[in-house]
Amino acid sequence: MSALVVLLSPPVLSWKNDLRTGSPARWLRRLVLLGLGAAFWIGTYWTLKRVLAYFQTVYELGPALAYQLLLIILLTFLSMLLFSNLITSLSTFFLARDLDLVRSAPIPPSSFFYARLITTTVNSSWMVLFFSFPIFAAYGAVFRGGGLFYLWTLLVLPLFLIIPAALGVLITHLLVYWLPARRIRDILFFIGLFAFIVLYFLFRFSQPERLVEPETFGHFLEFLTAMETPSSPFLPSSWSAEIFASVLFARPVNRWFFFALLSSYALFLPLAASWVSAAVYISGWSKAQEARQGRHHSDLLDRIIHWLTHPFPQITKAIMTKDIKSFLRDATQWSQLFLLLALVAVYLYNFKVLPLDRSPIPSATLRTVVSFTNVALAGFVLSAVAMRFAFPAVSLEGRAFWILQTSPIALKSLLWSKFWLNLIPLLVLGELLVFFSNTLLRVPSWMMTLSLITVFFMTFGITAIGVGVGALYPKFHYDHVAEIPTSFGGAICMIFSVAFIGATVMIEAWPVYLLAMEGLNPGSTSAGSWVLAPSLAGVALLTVLAVVVPIKLGLSGLEEMPD
Amino acid sequence: MIQLENLSKYYGKLAAVESLNLEIQPGEIFGFLGPNGAGKTTTIRVMMGILKPSSGRATLGGYDVVREPEKAKAITGFVPDRAFIYEKLSGREFLKFVGSLHRMDSPRLERRIAHLLEHFELWEWRDELVEGYSHGMKQRLVLSASLLHEPRILIIDEPMVGIDPRGAKMLKDLFLSLAKSGTTVFLSTHSVGVAEEICQRVGIIHRGRLIASGSMAELYRMARIEEGGLESAFLELTRDGTAS
Repeated sequence: MSALVVLLSPPVLSWKNDLRTGSPARWLRRLVLLGLGAAFWIGTYWTLKRVLAYFQTVYELGPALAYQLLLIILLTFLSMLLFSNLITSLSTFFLARDLDLVRSAPIPPSSFFYARLITTTVNSSWMVLFFSFPIFAAYGAVFRGGGLFYLWTLLVLPLFLIIPAALGVLITHLLVYWLPARRIRDILFFIGLFAFIVLYFLFRFSQPERLVEPETFGHFLEFLTAMETPSSPFLPSSWSAEIFASVLFARPVNRWFFFALLSSYALFLPLAASWVSAAVYISGWSKAQEARQGRHHSDLLDRIIHWLTHPFPQITKAIMTKDIKSFLRDATQWSQLFLLLALVAVYLYNFKVLPLDRSPIPSATLRTVVSFTNVALAGFVLSAVAMRFAFPAVSLEGRAFWILQTSPIALKSLLWSKFWLNLIPLLVLGELLVFFSNTLLRVPSWMMTLSLITVFFMTFGITAIGVGVGALYPKFHYDHVAEIPTSFGGAICMIFSVAFIGATVMIEAWPVYLLAMEGLNPGSTSAGSWVLAPSLAGVALLTVLAVVVPIKLGLSGLEEMPD
Repeated sequence: MIQLENLSKYYGKLAAVESLNLEIQPGEIFGFLGPNGAGKTTTIRVMMGILKPSSGRATLGGYDVVREPEKAKAITGFVPDRAFIYEKLSGREFLKFVGSLHRMDSPRLERRIAHLLEHFELWEWRDELVEGYSHGMKQRLVLSASLLHEPRILIIDEPMVGIDPRGAKMLKDLFLSLAKSGTTVFLSTHSVGVAEEICQRVGIIHRGRLIASGSMAELYRMARIEEGGLESAFLELTRDGTAS
């Protein structure tokens, strides 16, 4: 057996064994995930097919629009792949736990390099590949690509995946040669997040909704004509798009030229990366094993944390202090706050630019309706944030969980400390979101009060669902904190949160409708603010359930989990 | 001080520990020996309340670990075989955290932290993040944490793994002095030499069952050997198994 096959056998065998040995619960979990995946595929396929079919109705512009969209999609995939390969190759080449074993075995360095390159490519690309299938299927179906299109897809995709993988591996080798690997992971994560936020801002502030306004359509046409050619002709995504476009839209280009271009890069880059690896790997890996040093003691931070946590009992305070310090010292955790800030800024901006005054419905009524929708939207934002912070809270104890298990504390203290630590910032965020968006909407005072009270209740429920379900499905063995919410438990948490928000909104919908109608047509319903009281009581009751049930479930899960 | 009564733990149909009976007196150093997979770590995890027993009971200082886990843990210090700790805390912060979990008051906690960090030669590293510590330093830090609240019982799983000869000597002296002051030390180990050197009594667990327990002389008698020490007795008693 060649060394390459031997080196690739552990992940393949692990995967095979994992599939072969599964409890019924595990199979159920797989079925749920499969169902979610299928739903995602069908949803993407259906949506894109409708969009592309709509494009086709735009005389002459249809293929151009579809081509531009394909370019954007492939460019997005390429950047995601490059970034994902950078992160993955850091682990596979420099930080993996089996490196000592593998590198001490008498295997040729080139076999090691290509085995790790293949592992990196597979680990980084399967998600993009998964996302891409319904997209290609939709393009093929709408533009009648036929067998030829799918054949080209099969030829182009492997090359399209290898290029960013080899480039990512090459860049990682160079970075690790100059900087310690553990620091690079933080830096890369930070850069990736920052790039995402910038793109997000650029996209939102370019006001894409203006494209559908008739007065700007002439301008859009000019823009589109200018964009008939790819803006980045030197990128593999553009070369791939040219090949697909030549098959789908009969674009007059030589697809064989672009295929040769893709192939030559897909062959050359792995080779170049292997040369770089041969030259710098050992010194880079050696550096990767050196730990970071430095003193970490700040009286000011201690005083601030003491002030923040002093109302809580000693155990809760100790757990909160530990969590706050760990959070602040882990770049992969605190940098997610930037994502949060970007989310809030764009959220509020959306309300600022809403063209409510141009609607045929009276402005005040519309503002009430939008504001009520805003309560649900704020709930979704809060649950998304809770997924990032509250859901992983218990899992973040990681393999050090034994310390709490063997300490003389009740595990419920752990859950409640996680709950309070997450609740307070979420509460501030939720209330600010609703207050400022309602202020921008200039809603009536009863709506402002209702929104603030509802979000207050909702935050308790959302936080408890995050912490409780996170404790019920903990993931103590993880490589990166961002992978915790992507687990099965994460999906369950999201479903519970959305159901809770939906139920809350439904309880309040009827009185809000009555009050909105009263505002639109005074005297029609004779409803006063008092109609809100029973609903608020109902929401309060639901919140109590949403707090108590997940925390209890999480607690029993933690207590039962050890087997 | 430590009492195990008919303690069993099953993983599905597999009996990891079966009908274990043990009684260990205050101030005693008890060695818990067994081949790989014999059930040593499972027993310890049950004793520390990390695993629930399938049947039987374990009491520490008279407290049932299932019914009164907090009281049992409050008088016990524990060092696992592989000690993962919070990497983003400094050594001192980690000890402060553990001390707070034991509800220690601040002046006493500060005093104990300073004493233990000095004793285990970690004082210079007190403000470094744990992620920068070597394996041996982490072991010593976890040991410090287990002794912070001056426990009446110390349960320790494979204490000598990754410890250099100087550290090993320090540990052996520590166990002897703890026992002298009345602390019960429950030592699970592969190292027959360590057990022979410092334990007053030894229990040998094999395939989940306690097959022998007693002083060195009693074990030699049970194994029907006259020379070769505890190692020969151990090999003889576990002969039909897969002793490492």
